[in-house]
Amino acid sequence: MSIAIVDYLQFETTTCVLSICVAVYKQPDHLHSEMITLDTAVKSEKLVKIYHSKETVEALKGVNIGVDKGELFTLLGPNGAGKTTFLRIISTQLMPTEGDAEVLGHSVVNEPEEVRKHISVVPQDVATYNNFTPWEYAYYFARLRGMSVSDAKQTSEKALKAVDLWELKNRMCQTLSGGERRRAIIASALSSNADVLMLDEPTSGLDAVARRGVWSTLRDMVKEGKTILLTTHMMEEAEMVSDRLAIINKGNVIATGRLDEIKALIQEKYRVVVEGQFEKLSDYGEVAKLGDRNIVYVKTQNEALELLKTTLKMNLRAEASPVTLEDVFVKLVGGINNHENH
Amino acid sequence: MKTTKILKDMLIIAWMKSYPDFRRNPLMLLLIAMIGAIPLFFMVLFSGGNMLVHGLIGAMISGVAFIGVMAGIQDISWDRYVKIREMIVAMPVHPASYALGIALAPLLLSIPSVVFFGALLASWGVFSLTATLWTILALVVVWAAMSAIGFLISTYLFKTSMMVLNNLSNLLGIGIIFIPPVYYPETLLGNLSWISVIIPTSNVAGLIRAYMGLMPLSPETIMVRWLILIVTTMMFVGLTSLKARWRET
Repeated sequence: MSIAIVDYLQFETTTCVLSICVAVYKQPDHLHSEMITLDTAVKSEKLVKIYHSKETVEALKGVNIGVDKGELFTLLGPNGAGKTTFLRIISTQLMPTEGDAEVLGHSVVNEPEEVRKHISVVPQDVATYNNFTPWEYAYYFARLRGMSVSDAKQTSEKALKAVDLWELKNRMCQTLSGGERRRAIIASALSSNADVLMLDEPTSGLDAVARRGVWSTLRDMVKEGKTILLTTHMMEEAEMVSDRLAIINKGNVIATGRLDEIKALIQEKYRVVVEGQFEKLSDYGEVAKLGDRNIVYVKTQNEALELLKTTLKMNLRAEASPVTLEDVFVKLVGGINNHENH
Repeated sequence: MKTTKILKDMLIIAWMKSYPDFRRNPLMLLLIAMIGAIPLFFMVLFSGGNMLVHGLIGAMISGVAFIGVMAGIQDISWDRYVKIREMIVAMPVHPASYALGIALAPLLLSIPSVVFFGALLASWGVFSLTATLWTILALVVVWAAMSAIGFLISTYLFKTSMMVLNNLSNLLGIGIIFIPPVYYPETLLGNLSWISVIIPTSNVAGLIRAYMGLMPLSPETIMVRWLILIVTTMMFVGLTSLKARWRET
């Protein structure tokens, strides 16, 4: 093994120790988890949805979720977890089989017309209508809200500026990039001035730059006091934009809370990625095998450092960091080595 | 919901579904006119123009009927791909506004071709004021009937692929516009002329011919034919509203 690699390992180790030391999560003070208060924007109670087709599918199995006003709440789950079903019920597009939900105090089952006055929806996998311009998206949807021509123009301008599409407002959607198209659709939701925005995987299929543009828009909207209910299966997205989140799997909510609260649900606090052969890794903690790489989950910083030192001595490449949301998610939804069965 | 809001939303949706398409693709107006005009070419070629007046009536009906039947079916793409219907369901918009708006949109686009063929007919001297008013009314009813058929198909076959639905709407268009006595007088069918009464397009064609004095029909027969037209239209609308669900269950 060359000197250069050893230097690299020392550098990596130092970096890791530093990153462990600064891993303190800053959370907004005004947010609380679990508790449903007067400031609740969306609340579901024992929401059940069963689809009857060739086979019966229980998409939601008694889901209870509370979203506070003015927060961005993310519903995180794998494909088929029930996220879209939940969102479609909350947005009055789909009737639940059992249970009910409220949006700003109005029942989605019994008062859908009242609910619709306060919400705006961006569905999953939505494509733009290519003959529309961003302006037409924002303006027509504002008009359908019952706004006057002047109000609709005003709110459309504001929405398009918010999503950074004002300069492109008269370009046909088919000439826009994927990110711009998605933002045009988000503008249609924004121009409604709705209190609660429901976005179903709004960044799926977008590249990293476009995704960040959408995230930035979403955070700005929260800053303006909007409540956002977002679904995603992307961990990074959930981590970056959410005030609070719920993990949903197979129709059940398995965790709810702030990011730090979710991460606290597992005992392991650090992950060490070790590249190469090391048979006694399991002595240090639970190991997830990813081909020639292993992720070792350890409980304390000292355990992480101990493992790093050992791997350094063995001339193996290793890297330590606090556990990610993805680690927690994978562990909560079905075990860290479950991918081997797929 | 207030009636004014329902009507206003209907017009906004009709505008949304027609104006941007027309503005960016004005050639579509020509296409709509051409679809109706194709049989005229063959009629002139094979009948030396004798049947052209009947053909022009057919072209007018085709303008509103063919596009009417396609409106409901093509709306599925607004639901499946661009998901505008899904977004509108979650808005304070009445389902009637949506259905009427979607049906009205192609009618707006077909008006120029209908006016064009109507003007040609007027140059024949077959239009009186009464005939014009009855013709407009008959065209509106056949548009409603055909749009209802389109919605009926899209409602009952909402899981069918877009390609199949497009083929179906084309076949249906051919089946109820180009084959029955729409472009030619029903008298040519002899004993089978009764068929024209049960198909909305040919029924309307017969009525318009009667108002223009091209085919003698007694007032009682005209009344019965109107009754059948209205009943069939209501039947299609009723069947659609029985099955259609604004909110999925």
